[in-house]
Amino acid sequence: MKFGPKSSALAVLAAAAIALTACGGGTSASGGGGGAAATTLTLASLQDLKTFDPTDAHIGHRMPIYQAVYDSLIRRAPDGKLVPMLATEWSYNKDNTVLTLKLRTDVTFSDGAKFDAAAAKANLDHFKAAKGTDAYQAASMKSVDVVDPSTIAITLNSPDPAFSYYLTQALGLQASPKAIGTDGIKTVPDGSGPYVYDAKSSVKGSQYVFTKRSGYWDKDLQKFDKVTIKYLVDLTARTNALVSGQVDAALLDPKSGKQAEGAGMVPHKSQVDWQGILLYDRDGKINPALANVKVRQAMNYAFDRKTILAQQYLNEGTVTDQVFGPESGAYVPELDNTYPYDPAKAKALLAEAGYPKGFTLKIPTVASYDPINAVFKQQLSDVGITLQTESIPDANYVSDMAAGKYAAATFNLYQGEPWVAINQMVSTTALYNPFKNEDPELTAMIKAVQNGGANSAELAKKVNENVTKNAWFVPMFRLNQMYFSNKKIDVQPELQQAVPSIYNYAPAK
Amino acid sequence: MSVPVELVGQSGTVVRSNVIKKILKNPLGLSAVVVLLFMVVLAVLANVLTSFDPNFANIGKTLASGDAVNLLGTDSVGRDVWSRLVFGARTTLLSALLCAAVAIAIGLPSGLVAGYYGGKFDGVSNWLVNVLMSLPGIIVLLTVRAALGPSVWLSMVAFGILMAPGYFRLTRTAVQSVRNELYVDAARVAGLSDTAIMSRHIFSVVRAPIIIQTAVICGVAIAIQSGLEFLGLGDPSVATWGVMLNEGFKNIYLSPLLLVWPALAIGLTIGALVLLANAIRDALEDAEKIKAPKRGGNTAQASLATVRRRPDRTFSAVVEAGTEHHLVKVSHLGVGYPQADGSIKKVVDDVSFHVDRGEVLGIVGESGSGKSQTAFSILGLLPDAARIVGGSIQFDGKYTVAPTDDRVSQTRLSEYRGKRISYIPQEPMSNLDPAFTIGYQLVTPMMRVLKISKSEATKRALKLLDDVGIRFPEKTFEAYPHEVSGGMAQRVLIAGAISCEPDLIIADEPTTALDVTVQADVLDLVRDLQKRLGVGVILVTHNFGVVADLCDRVAVMQNGRLVEDGDVRDILRNPKDPYTQKLLSSMLEDKEPMTMLVSAGMPAAQAAARNDERDEKEMAR
Amino acid sequence: MVSFILKRIASGISVLVAISFFTYCLLYFSSANIARNILGEYASQEQVQAKEIALGLHRPLLTRFFEWAGNALHGDFGVSWFTSEPVVSAITTRLPITLTLVIVSIVCIAIVATLLGMAAAVKRGWIDRLVQGAAVVGDAIPDFVLAIVLVSVFAITLKIFPATSSISPDSGADAWAASMTLPVIALLINGIASIAQQIRSAVIKQLERDYVRTLRSRGIPEWEILFKHVLRSAAPAGLTVLSLKFVGMLGGVVIIEQIFALPGMGALAVQSTSMGDIPLVMGVVLYTVIIVIIVNLLVDLINGWLNPKVRVS
Repeated sequence: MKFGPKSSALAVLAAAAIALTACGGGTSASGGGGGAAATTLTLASLQDLKTFDPTDAHIGHRMPIYQAVYDSLIRRAPDGKLVPMLATEWSYNKDNTVLTLKLRTDVTFSDGAKFDAAAAKANLDHFKAAKGTDAYQAASMKSVDVVDPSTIAITLNSPDPAFSYYLTQALGLQASPKAIGTDGIKTVPDGSGPYVYDAKSSVKGSQYVFTKRSGYWDKDLQKFDKVTIKYLVDLTARTNALVSGQVDAALLDPKSGKQAEGAGMVPHKSQVDWQGILLYDRDGKINPALANVKVRQAMNYAFDRKTILAQQYLNEGTVTDQVFGPESGAYVPELDNTYPYDPAKAKALLAEAGYPKGFTLKIPTVASYDPINAVFKQQLSDVGITLQTESIPDANYVSDMAAGKYAAATFNLYQGEPWVAINQMVSTTALYNPFKNEDPELTAMIKAVQNGGANSAELAKKVNENVTKNAWFVPMFRLNQMYFSNKKIDVQPELQQAVPSIYNYAPAK
Repeated sequence: MSVPVELVGQSGTVVRSNVIKKILKNPLGLSAVVVLLFMVVLAVLANVLTSFDPNFANIGKTLASGDAVNLLGTDSVGRDVWSRLVFGARTTLLSALLCAAVAIAIGLPSGLVAGYYGGKFDGVSNWLVNVLMSLPGIIVLLTVRAALGPSVWLSMVAFGILMAPGYFRLTRTAVQSVRNELYVDAARVAGLSDTAIMSRHIFSVVRAPIIIQTAVICGVAIAIQSGLEFLGLGDPSVATWGVMLNEGFKNIYLSPLLLVWPALAIGLTIGALVLLANAIRDALEDAEKIKAPKRGGNTAQASLATVRRRPDRTFSAVVEAGTEHHLVKVSHLGVGYPQADGSIKKVVDDVSFHVDRGEVLGIVGESGSGKSQTAFSILGLLPDAARIVGGSIQFDGKYTVAPTDDRVSQTRLSEYRGKRISYIPQEPMSNLDPAFTIGYQLVTPMMRVLKISKSEATKRALKLLDDVGIRFPEKTFEAYPHEVSGGMAQRVLIAGAISCEPDLIIADEPTTALDVTVQADVLDLVRDLQKRLGVGVILVTHNFGVVADLCDRVAVMQNGRLVEDGDVRDILRNPKDPYTQKLLSSMLEDKEPMTMLVSAGMPAAQAAARNDERDEKEMAR
Repeated sequence: MVSFILKRIASGISVLVAISFFTYCLLYFSSANIARNILGEYASQEQVQAKEIALGLHRPLLTRFFEWAGNALHGDFGVSWFTSEPVVSAITTRLPITLTLVIVSIVCIAIVATLLGMAAAVKRGWIDRLVQGAAVVGDAIPDFVLAIVLVSVFAITLKIFPATSSISPDSGADAWAASMTLPVIALLINGIASIAQQIRSAVIKQLERDYVRTLRSRGIPEWEILFKHVLRSAAPAGLTVLSLKFVGMLGGVVIIEQIFALPGMGALAVQSTSMGDIPLVMGVVLYTVIIVIIVNLLVDLINGWLNPKVRVS
């Protein structure tokens, strides 16, 4: 008889199959949650943090990670109002140049150090000196003085309408004075936040685990025993994770949102960013064509915003011709009719400007902008402009733009308070004004906003009209942030913020 | 694709014109060629096959399904999927070819030089190959992209460099194997330059393996390239299948078909490349082999099937009365091999003889006379493809091959093999498993067959080694086959053959591969053992000298038939058949010089080689 | 034997040095603008210059390489330029995931492919055709395409497995098994058939050898001939193919890890190379190459153990 291994091969295969199904079955059962209120929260983040050092903190997607371990001086409520946090009250002097804050006296850091005025001063001074990612928030800060152990006074170079808001963001984060500036804080945070970092369960660049801190001063902000934030950069992976219940909430996009809605996820839509092309080189340093206002206007006329919004974002958003948002106070409804879709006019303007055959414009691109840039490319080529895209690493996108390497770039920008927005993209110190374009008329308008006090939002409308008419940008739409959560947790979306603050989540009732 | 028609030398692989025919005859090879041709046509005629620019976006018509304008619909930006698919074919195929071209350009010349000259260049290039093969490919490609930008072509050049070792190794091995061939020597003597020799003689040898390797590499390149692009690490401004796959994955929930088209294109192309490689390999390898046709083939076999069938395990037909006392009786045996065209090539035809206990039968004949096939039929060790087409074999009064069996029943023979019938092979070295000690290979059969303990078997094995004249049994027992000489190995095999006290020993040219001085010793040993143990022996040989030395009776075979048999003295003195006479005379002529030429100091291998050469001469006469 | 191992280790080290240098050169050319990227957009020009000096970016290539190599020799691979995480800890938290994935896949492939390959070689017929056909299909479908299909069917639609990894350093065996199953299957299907085919031809080659016939003539049972003798002699060929597969997988697993969001070496490699985080990239390359060299050495040793001829010489 010839022995055949056929039978044994089949047996092994069968055994393997059984083992595999058994593993799968086991976990799917344990992952099932159940009726009791959730004690853990798992979030998907589409950005990873650089380090845990508060000077590396950045508004938007990364803030919840920092908020878990660091308290800020002031807290921003979901409706945008500023409410007490480590500072119980705060007030400006008459000319809005000195901000005095009263601090809590019952707060300690996770390493045992006490929070007091000296600690707050140390944090603010360090933040300014370090010139981290969000260094602009400390730009107007001149000095910090300890008035008494529970009071500090911050002196500003000039009035900064957004300064108290900044204290809710990276600038306001408070780390233990012992840890500030050390290398240790970069990998293991030391703050006074509602949770403590569980380094053993965390994997840098993958997931960050936090556990409830005992003895935290405000139990109302500690709603879970454990908070996990997973870094999931890939949209499909994020969608899969949310739909299959591995994360409780995630930011998706309109297309994957359809899938999430179909799976019974709860949408929380809000408009935070505007998307479009930032025309940086308005003096024509590297691309002479952009110096001509008619060229910039022609580009604005070249886009069929409604169709693009419908096709690319399934109408999740609003088309716009201006870069200031409706809630900002600087919004001018009529401006949205400035640049209707009119390719003929675009061509005419180009001809008038001396570019009847169009010109070539090089912009950077990263994977997430590839599809929309392909659309932009098509629309511009329809009026004769050749858009060249250059793939660069994600990590270099912002720094390459800020370094003035490109004459223009596609981007999503946050639509914040007028003063924040101006300092983000219009003023000569703005990051997204890399060629430091200015114009005397505009500069005067900006000055007016800065000193306008309560009137500053109204004054910002002038700035808005100016940059819109002069086509500093090609704004396209205000996109809906498609934030989704499952039914195990309640989420309060936060006004003008890409993702909700960590305080806005609670177990479902 | 064209494979040049040329016939070259004895060794290595040779591309023949009929290789193409063979590939096209093979249904899988044909479909591979068709698929690849289809893809090539797509790539070449991309401009004609679609009116859309692959990057033209109809921004008002995204994720549309197919219609008269956009055959396969549009993607998420409104680009025509069909147009991207055909232009993608162009980029994808070209970049795969570029990768293979770079790999060939580096691997082939360096392999040729390293294989031909050896020495330092060989050492350095082998070290470089080690470096390249230890490099984590994806990480290199990521770094290249970071350093030099996201170009499809650059990354394929880099990947080509990483793939070069495949060609290098292949060429080097092939060249080394032909470098010392006679015809290359002849070319060298004829004054051809090294370059000429390399390009004319050696290159033709490596050509076929290179075509195979190229098909494989192109497949790998396409997979790697689309993998990188799938990660978003491609060049989004160029339409390739990988970029399309990435795009499809992003929209998997809205339009799954977007993923299907590029995946299908990638799968089909790589699959076709793999199949083509297999088909070429099969066409080259199986050129000389005879394939066993499928069951129920054609008339020749059908007629065979009506007469003879698979033996059943419990068969116990009674042998012809009066023949039970023969130890082995072979009656009208026919052995054949089914051919690809359905006919059966007979290698043994109507052979009958018998062997009694204590008797030595010699089967004499030249190579291809069917003597070994006859012996293997008795042992049941014919190749799988062989069929018994006539006659029967009985052992000790029972059929091992009954008159209706179409092959030898392994079940029946396993009762005898090793226990009652044993075998001494021709080539001592290749018949010992190099991975096991000699002791192990002697002890295990005894434990299995005689059901004795290991220690007992060891004791017996040492005694057997002593019996067959090995001077240090313990040392040999511990040794591996490659540590002993050919003569020793043959003694070991003889010891193995008698270890389980068989009734019949079949010795297949037991001395041919041995040094002449050793031959005599081994023959003495066989004679000795035969006398002592009183076993029956079938001695297969082409050498009448051996027959004269050992045998009681002799059977002479030619072209699968038995031409003469009888008492050994009768046939030696009075051969009737002309063929026997011829065999006999050639042996006698060479008898004297044969012993004289061999000096004591001559190395065994050399002597054996010379011996073989002489044997061939004998045959030629 | 000892000298054989020493020789192999020496050649491994020379390969390691060459690859380190080669990678360092490549990175050198891709590392423009790094200080600016690390510090962010708001850092002043002076800060950027100070950072460049702190990182030694102003110094020539060779000086930088030798300094790195010197530190690496002392086990100091530095810290990530971007996250300040020590390179060793960044890698050691991720390596187990990648290695588990690759080793489990390779072991499964080895077992199943050996059985299938032997069955195909011995039995021929349908199982042979099955293996051959499956090999073509397995080769034709890239593993990441298969992974996508597996995710959509088994994780999204049937919800049998998690779609993305739930592994963390402290998670239990069940979480590992659940997260690893789909990725392993994606890697398996691609590998089994093609390796089985290779093993099939190695076994056929051995079955044609004379000693197999002699073993049969000695009355050794067929299973013993197959599993003790034939398999042992066919093993070196199989091991070599498996080790090549292992090296290929170590790189190719990047894509699989990305699809399943597994926190393995893949994501680290992609991120660190795209950012130009030289210490981290060098760490990743070095660890990968060391693993490859160890595997190759192991294969050589096993082959030597299997083949007494190599063992002695």
